This record gives sequence, structure tokens and C-alpha cells, in this order.
Amino acid sequence: MQEPLLRFDDVSKVYRNGVQGLSHVSFSVEAGEFVAVIGPSGAGKSTLLRSINRLQDITSGRVLIRGEDISRESGRKLRAMRAGIGMIFQNYNLVYRLSVMQNVLHGRLGYMSSWRGMLGLYSEEDREKAAALLEEIQMGDFLNARAADLSGGQKQRVGIARAFMQEPELLLCDEPIASLDPSSAKIIMDMLSAMTKRRHMACLVNLHQIDAAKTYAGRIIGLRRGTVVFDGPPEALTDAAVETIYGVPASELAMKECVS
Amino acid sequence: MDSAQNAEAMTAPHGRQGGKIDIGVAGGGHFIAGFLIGAAALTAASLALLGIDWVRLAGRAGDIGLIFWRMAHFTLDHVDFTLLSFMDTFSIMVLATVYSLFLGLAFGLLAARNVAGPVIAPVVKAVFTFLRAVPTPVWVLLTLVCFGFGPVAGITGLSVHTVAFFTKSFAQAFEDVPEDTVDALRALGATRLQIIACGILPSAVTQLIAWTALRFEINFSECAILGMVGAGGIGFAISAAIQNYDYGEAGLAVFLVFLFAFCMERGFLYVKKIMK
Repeated sequence: MQEPLLRFDDVSKVYRNGVQGLSHVSFSVEAGEFVAVIGPSGAGKSTLLRSINRLQDITSGRVLIRGEDISRESGRKLRAMRAGIGMIFQNYNLVYRLSVMQNVLHGRLGYMSSWRGMLGLYSEEDREKAAALLEEIQMGDFLNARAADLSGGQKQRVGIARAFMQEPELLLCDEPIASLDPSSAKIIMDMLSAMTKRRHMACLVNLHQIDAAKTYAGRIIGLRRGTVVFDGPPEALTDAAVETIYGVPASELAMKECVS
Repeated sequence: MDSAQNAEAMTAPHGRQGGKIDIGVAGGGHFIAGFLIGAAALTAASLALLGIDWVRLAGRAGDIGLIFWRMAHFTLDHVDFTLLSFMDTFSIMVLATVYSLFLGLAFGLLAARNVAGPVIAPVVKAVFTFLRAVPTPVWVLLTLVCFGFGPVAGITGLSVHTVAFFTKSFAQAFEDVPEDTVDALRALGATRLQIIACGILPSAVTQLIAWTALRFEINFSECAILGMVGAGGIGFAISAAIQNYDYGEAGLAVFLVFLFAFCMERGFLYVKKIMK
């Protein structure tokens, strides 16, 4: 039996202050899947994503990438595994004083020797690839713009290009549209969906918006208090399922979304 | 107790006093009163300790104008010595600041919690806090003992304090770099050195330039004083001229110091403006 791309095996995380981040989480993701993770604030969505690339350490269990347990790795091996996992953040997390191209090329750092990366000695091939990626996300006119001068939607597109520059098998998106206006949010979600599909890349997206999850995801995982309480296709996400995840009736949730 | 009643009134939810709504922070009024009383007490104590002869001071006050009048009439008899001394001061300032800049960058990284970790950073910080607490002239006097009179002692002594200053301010600048930026680079498999070179240094560069510019200004004025303790430079020229009652010469030297400091400040303002 071939190992799935990503497998959570009975993963738990307890924070130092005693808060339970994740409790006995098990699921697996195959190549090319587009999975949305939904749940109320503090349900452990970020913890789930950040334990995959070890921005956070887990307390017990195993996180397997193609059968290799990333939660036990360190040093060179950990960096090599991280290089194969892209990540997009709610606040874009760019180096704002640098140019768009420099930020995108950071995606290659994990594949370069330490000193070549420090000096910014990116190969011509990488530079061309970065420019082509920026063309693909309609940022071709901004190659040398300073990242700080871009709008939110543009910054997030640079974040996407940086992640795709890694040529990852797995893409993690932590609330990618939570800081964006509705039209920018739609552009970003459309891009993520199309670009991962074209490359047969697996994508795990944390979302606050149930509608977006239903529209874009092929599968939805619902978290509540660190436990997986729903795992299935969007059609199966009934009002009752939404109530289990959020702890309030779906109708009330819709009302709240309208007001906010 | 009157003050207790006062405190009660102030912590009350809608502390009205004399018909007006109190807009200050609840209970904040006592601090300023305490400060003023304390300052007055310390002033009185200091005056008593120093035993200043006010009568003599008043008698001499008229001389101040006279001295300035004399200093304003520049004499050029020893202008070559003054200019050479000024060049000494300039060189000491530049060398001390530039050497310290490199050392400060290295130690600043070691003192930044988000770079060196929670064990090393506080230790490095503590060491340099001690070095910074000792004033520059004291360091220069100590290095004078090792290197003898002259610019080498000036450069070394000034550098000790400058490195300590840069270490603290640069570490602060590095710690101000958002953790998010560092996270993003960690997540894509960058090494620690790559995170420093590609993420932390570029994000902190505006602050680094601002601190360096400020320190250039401080070091110039420090240099002017250091001459008087024997480290060479314009300070020595000024004190020598004053001791010889050669006020015209001293005036010229002081004017040079002022002119240079003024130009330097305008220059750095311009640099900051283009850096945005």
C-alpha cells in the first residue's frame, strides 16, 4: 500500500499553558486534493497547519509526509522537507522592504546552499521561473516594486508566487483571504484553486467563510476544540453538521455573517 | 485623610470635581505632585552640597559676554594646528563608528532574542549593559593607560561605548522584525543565516541607518570632549588655546565644531528623507 502524501496519526498538541490545541487528530490527504479546514476561532485550525511544517511542535502522535515523520526530524533533513511544503499566511508575511522578485525568489532558499542564499545568488533559471510565475498571477508589471507598496490582494499574490516557487507537493494556506476585501478574496481563491489543480498539488486551506469552503474545496474538515468533528465532501456539510462544528445553529451563523 | 478622599473621588467611575468631568487616568494625579516635591528636595540638597558662592558667580557674570566677544574675533596664528586637530577628531570619529558598526552588528544579532535564542541573548545584553553604564571618558582614560596618549586610545575607548550602544539598539531593531516574517522563511526551509540575511537585516535596515546616523553625531561631540582627557583632536586644541588665553584660536575651533555638527545633521536628515 502506498503511503498518502500527508497523514496525521493520532496527533495531539497541548500548549504550555495547558490549552489543548489538537486532540487525537487522524486523517490523511492524497496528492491533488483541495481540502478546506473550518471551525470557530481557537478550534485548532492554525495549530493543525503549523504542525505540518513544524512552525509548532506537537505533543504526541505522528505527522507523516510520504511516510516520513516530520515531527521527529531536525536540521538539514527538516529544512529539506519544509522546502517541499509551501505556506501562505493571512498577513502575507513578506519581507516588505525587498522587491517583489526578491520575495518570490525566497521560495528557492530551501534548495540552495546557505551562503548562496544569503548573498541572493539565484540562478538565471530561477529568476526566469519567478518572472513567469508573476506573469501567471498578473503581477508581471510589478517585478521590481517594493513589496510594502502593494495592496493587500497584490501582497497575497506575491505570497502565492513565493510558495509556488518551492514547487511543493503540498500547499498550506492559513486564512489566506481573512484580511482581504471580497473581490480580492475571490481572485485569490480562484488562483489557488486553478494553480493547484494544474500542478496536481494538494492544498490545505483554513477558512472562516463556510461559503468559500463549499465553493472551492473537494473535501471539508471541521474542527471543534481540537477534534475533527466533520470530514467529508461539501455536499455532506448539512446545517446539522455546521451546528456540530460551530456550536450554534447554521441559521444564526448566516445572520452573523450578514451583520458583520 | 484628605488625599485618601481625593483618591476615592478619582477612582470613582464618573469622577466629577468642581462640576467638571475628570478626564485624567484614575489615580494619576499624585505622581506629578510627588515628582515636583522630590525634585525640589533634591535641588535644595545639591545646592547645599556644592556650596556655590553666589556672590562671586554674580560678579563674574559680566565676563561671559567679554569672553564670547573675544572668541568671536578669530585669529589665524595657529590655524594649521587647529585644522590638523580637527582632522584628527574627524578620523577618530569615523574609524571608531565604522569599527563599532561591524562589531555592533555581530553582537546585536547575538543579543537579539529572536536570533540568538532565550539563553544567549540576555547574557550578551547584560555584558553590554555594563559596558554602556561606564561613560566614554572613563573608557578613554583606561585605554590611555594601555596605549599611551593619542588617537589610538581615543578610537579604542570610544569604540567600547559605541559597540555597546549599537549592540543594544541593533538588537532592539532586530527584535522589532515581525515574527511572521521569520516564520515564513522558516516554513520554506531557509537556514538560520539565510533568515538573518534575507529577512531580518533587510527589515531592520531603516532603523540600523537611523541609529548609525545618531551615533555619528554623538561620537563627534564625544570626540570633541575626549581631546581634553588626552586623546588628541580638536578638544586638545580648544583646551590648549584657552589655557594660553588665546580666545581667538579657541573661538575658531569651536566654530569649526559647530559648523561640522550642523552640516552632519542636515546631511543625515537628507539621507533619512530619501530612505523614507
